[in-house]
Amino acid sequence: MDSSWRSVLGAELENEMNEMKLSRRKFCQVAGRGLLVASPLVRALGQSPSTLTAREVVARIKKNVGVPWFTPTADDFKIGDPDAPITGITATFMSTLDVLQRSAAAGNNFVITHEPTFWSAADVVSDLREDPLYNYKLNFLEKNKMVVWRFHDHWHAHRPADGIFTGWNKAMGWESYASPGADPFSHEYVIPETSFEDLARDMQKKLNTHSMRLVGNPKLRVTKVAHAGHYIQQCMQVLPHVDVVLVFECREWEAAEYLRDAVASGQKKALIQLPHEGGEEAGMDECARWMKTFVTEVPIKFIPSGDPFWMPT
Amino acid sequence: MITSQQLIERIQKNVGVPWQSQQSDGFSDGILFGSPEATVTGIVTTWTPTLDVLRKAVSSAKNVVICRQAPSYSRGERAPVAWRNAPAPSKEMLDKDPVWQAKQDFISKNNLLIIRFCDNWDARRTDGQLRGLAKALGWEKFYLAQSAKDDYEPRNVYFRLPATSLNNLAEGIKKKLDIQGLRVIGKPDSSVTKVALTHGLLLVADAEQILREPGVDAIVTGDAVEWEAAPYFQDLVAAGKAKGLILLGDEASEEPGSGEVADWLKGFVTEVPIEWIPAGDPFWVLS
Repeated sequence: MDSSWRSVLGAELENEMNEMKLSRRKFCQVAGRGLLVASPLVRALGQSPSTLTAREVVARIKKNVGVPWFTPTADDFKIGDPDAPITGITATFMSTLDVLQRSAAAGNNFVITHEPTFWSAADVVSDLREDPLYNYKLNFLEKNKMVVWRFHDHWHAHRPADGIFTGWNKAMGWESYASPGADPFSHEYVIPETSFEDLARDMQKKLNTHSMRLVGNPKLRVTKVAHAGHYIQQCMQVLPHVDVVLVFECREWEAAEYLRDAVASGQKKALIQLPHEGGEEAGMDECARWMKTFVTEVPIKFIPSGDPFWMPT
Repeated sequence: MITSQQLIERIQKNVGVPWQSQQSDGFSDGILFGSPEATVTGIVTTWTPTLDVLRKAVSSAKNVVICRQAPSYSRGERAPVAWRNAPAPSKEMLDKDPVWQAKQDFISKNNLLIIRFCDNWDARRTDGQLRGLAKALGWEKFYLAQSAKDDYEPRNVYFRLPATSLNNLAEGIKKKLDIQGLRVIGKPDSSVTKVALTHGLLLVADAEQILREPGVDAIVTGDAVEWEAAPYFQDLVAAGKAKGLILLGDEASEEPGSGEVADWLKGFVTEVPIEWIPAGDPFWVLS
């Protein structure tokens, strides 16, 4: 990623975070009013409820993440009272309303999400106060005494390896094919030779995704594959080394048009455009496994938000 | 005979809104490649000048390509962050890139003129992109015009279709537009009748604005950011507040507008042939 772009994003993030802090303070006052209801699991087992709080879990995450905590970062509490005892933890790619409903039903009131809750990079809510959907989601969170904490930047920064890609490599069974790329977000692989179409089918199955979109000849023989993140520059950087470029959340006028021209100009290349979730969800399954090594007082469950899309026949 | 400069002057005269000049970074309307003095042999309109579209232009002896997207895979540094895209690749990076080299060589070897025409077209009172898409879908008769004079005014995007299921609607659109990469959020068997139709990238603020109108079952649009309007719709569906979102893809949602541009140009450019050459859906999907 180009440094000027990073600084633009950084400044935007900082502004949005400042707005967010104001709104969060307001919600915490509201959320702190009620008494916590013990989870069905705790009640069923007849155990005394754990006193572990979300803030204590986050402190353990910071201790175990393998890099110093940095700012600005999106990784922070988005809603709820961090100092109330928690009943269980959900790890998810995106804290959609559906994931929150399933977490509440599972008795987990602490949700750790990789992506935003309120539909923008820094969960800016200042423009959403009159939005009926925002209020619906807020009421659901409040009624269920839920706490949401975002774990994005530092899970990618996790050392020895980016936690998201560790999970993705495991889901694909590609751990032994991985080699580090030039860009911190790019990951290059050398896989056993196959056709482009068979690679796409295998990936669709292993990632349990339904909305993959493809550019390139289905019969092309391929062996070198690389993630190229979200941006055109990353596509340009990896294309010379690989047969197949993987992107998610890359605007169509960038990757798809670039690869279409690459193919038209006679290069033997192909593109897989995954849903964002298909590129990162497995990394939150990994996050749940990782947290279990240092949080044992409450249950921890990976709840997939799933591919948001389906495609008609 | 008409030169490219005269062509632009004629467009400026007919567009009906004060002309917004080209920006210094070349990402707004004007000549991106070629000389203002060049004689126009024929005009192609398209959403994006892919190498394939450029080849078709040359083989039909047309040297001017009027497009909405710049040819170098970017909307540039000036693009609002709301578009969630990267800054333009630097000149140094582009010059070293073999894909861009192949395209640039083809453009110079064939003396092609690339003219971007987007912002001024969008500033017109009629949303030409919406009208083109509505026609391509065969939806003109379902348009909920606010008045007899309402010719696809930018804020009125509503259509009342014969009641159908979300799945049937999506299947019908896919077939009608002959596209592959169409994606849907919502329950396939939901009944839909009142639909909002937009093009390009749908932002959360756009969705909020559109849904202020009562009774909208679904939005059909180009694309949505997958941490913004896409999950906004997942949540709307989970909360029972809307039934679906259909994403056509950027190209599919904007391309018919280039057909409108071609028809409009024919009204005041009669010296040379004018043809709409769609770039086509870039994607294929697994069956």
